[in-house]
Amino acid sequence: MDIGFSPEETRFREECREWLHANVPAEKRPLDAADAIDFDKAWQRRLFDAGWAGINWPAAYGGRGLSIVQQVVWLEEYAKAHAPWIGANFVGINHGGPTLILNASEEQKAYHLPRILKGEAIWCQGFSEPGAGSDLAGIKTRGRIDGDVIVINGSKIWTSFAHVADWQELVLRTEEGSRRHRGLSWVICGMHTPGITVRPIRKMSGQTEFAEVFYDDVRVPLANVVGGLGNGWKVAMSTLSFERGTGFIADQVKQSQEIRELIAAARANGMIRDDRIADQLAQMRAEVAAVRAMTYRNISEVVRTGQPGPEASVIRLFTSELGQRLERMTVLLKGADMLDFQYGDDNAVQDYLRGFAATIAGGSAQIQRDIIGERLLGLPKSR
Amino acid sequence: MDLTPNDDQIALRTVTADWCRDNMPLEGARARAPDLWMQLDTMGWAGMTAPGMDLDHASEALVFAELGRFLAPLALLPSAVAARWVGFAGKTALALPADGFVRLFDSNGAARALGLFGDTAGHFAIGDVRSAPSLDLSTHVARTVPPSSIDRIDDPRAALHLQLLAAAFAVGCADAARDMAADYAKMREQFERPIGWFQAIKHLCADMAVRCAVARSQLYYAACALDAGDEAAFHVAAAKRLADQAALDNGRANIQIHGGIGMTDEAAPHLCLKRAHLLGFVAPARPDALLAA
Repeated sequence: MDIGFSPEETRFREECREWLHANVPAEKRPLDAADAIDFDKAWQRRLFDAGWAGINWPAAYGGRGLSIVQQVVWLEEYAKAHAPWIGANFVGINHGGPTLILNASEEQKAYHLPRILKGEAIWCQGFSEPGAGSDLAGIKTRGRIDGDVIVINGSKIWTSFAHVADWQELVLRTEEGSRRHRGLSWVICGMHTPGITVRPIRKMSGQTEFAEVFYDDVRVPLANVVGGLGNGWKVAMSTLSFERGTGFIADQVKQSQEIRELIAAARANGMIRDDRIADQLAQMRAEVAAVRAMTYRNISEVVRTGQPGPEASVIRLFTSELGQRLERMTVLLKGADMLDFQYGDDNAVQDYLRGFAATIAGGSAQIQRDIIGERLLGLPKSR
Repeated sequence: MDLTPNDDQIALRTVTADWCRDNMPLEGARARAPDLWMQLDTMGWAGMTAPGMDLDHASEALVFAELGRFLAPLALLPSAVAARWVGFAGKTALALPADGFVRLFDSNGAARALGLFGDTAGHFAIGDVRSAPSLDLSTHVARTVPPSSIDRIDDPRAALHLQLLAAAFAVGCADAARDMAADYAKMREQFERPIGWFQAIKHLCADMAVRCAVARSQLYYAACALDAGDEAAFHVAAAKRLADQAALDNGRANIQIHGGIGMTDEAAPHLCLKRAHLLGFVAPARPDALLAA
């Protein structure tokens, strides 16, 4: 075991740092999705042109074909440089794209992957429904096969960036009468197809970042199915554990910056003399360090075996709850100043309010604990 | 960068775990064989950290986490530090200085004791001491007057070494409690099903697994940091804090999950809890080590 990086990786780190130092935009990313979309697309294009998009994606589809360790190095340097959140591109880059790489046909990959990397195509995720949240297998949105077309009816909800997206990774029921995980398909759905209505939803932090999506006889080519009809559950799950492995290194760097700032702020205003506050800060500093150790361990597992370890869901759960503890402490140190918060402000209160999503989106903390109990410890399945 | 054990390290860990299972089961922690130390010495665990052995801290941490899982004798910790930094070959007792006296643990058959005095590791000769059972039933405790002279080990890495190995023991202790709880939750039935089926129990177990993963990962990182001399004081302190917490919280949760039997003297859960309390006093992680810039 060692925590050092190879000379090649260190050189790569320096390249990342230099480019980011010279290119990270000075202006802030707008908060509302509709305002941010141009910013997000332009920034993604700049990343692509300079060779920083899809570092570990196959070169054949516009990626760099480099190692997962180099991807981690990039993400660490990206966060250290305070580079903007990839925003509207996050579904395509972090989820839709990797799912296509693992499951899609050559034709599908050749068309979509370069467009995602260049920031030309914005993706959103159509998984959750009003009646299918934690119980995702309860999906009711249905697709009737009509020749070489799927006719879609139903609705999806909590769909991030739906109102600015071009494509959706849509999981729906294509076998009539099928139940639970069977009979689902993963379909590439064009968001500009007639019959789609998007109703944006405002979050308690003030931004309109997600939406409800309605499908009324929406006709999508049958050729847009990924991984075969009826295999939707398997396709949807194929990227989840991958995601849980590397997706959190940027959060770790951000949290490590936050805890340093918190400690400095508590020193400045004297609150560090309160033993309970000092103790909590010490605790979180240790925990932030452990997130990096866990992520490195998981990446090492991927390098060694080709797969992330089962502990990837532990990283996800722990990181999301730690983030919330940090945000709560930041607000605590602000004192009554938090009461001056107004929608649209970009500050600690905003992060605190937005942070509630971390233990809900993409599998709630409760579902994560079920997964850990059942898959890691072998306890009997309760669902 | 690689935070997974290599093949040699996996083999070393497996050998350790297998031997412990056959010769030093956790359930027997309160009545260990009188010649256990001799057996450990013969097998090489007592002297494995000696300079000539060239064992890195990462491998040591892996082995000590396994030993800790079976609540191995506490004297392995000070003996390992003494072997590496002073070149002692024999058994060294653990010293915990208190106000006006020193507590000695596992001093039977030891000629010296080692502990932390302020921030530095130090050792001293001990004579015959009268020891009595301790909270941690695997060891005896004796009180002595503070030694008139202490041989301090100047290298600050000696103190970090003790902190790292104690963290490894605590990680093992947390693992043991987690596994004991999960096994019981699969076997014990109420309401006509295993209690592990219920989320109220399952999520307690999941939190135990999270604490173990967090503490073990930081332990590996800290061991590598001590090997590399890279921010070692911070990373080892972080590892100790997280490991102590995992051992203590898992120790408590394990008793809760066992219900009535968990409160008894006969059952094993309290052995882990009591060991966790003791380890919390061995080279504890001070908040200022974690808050330093």
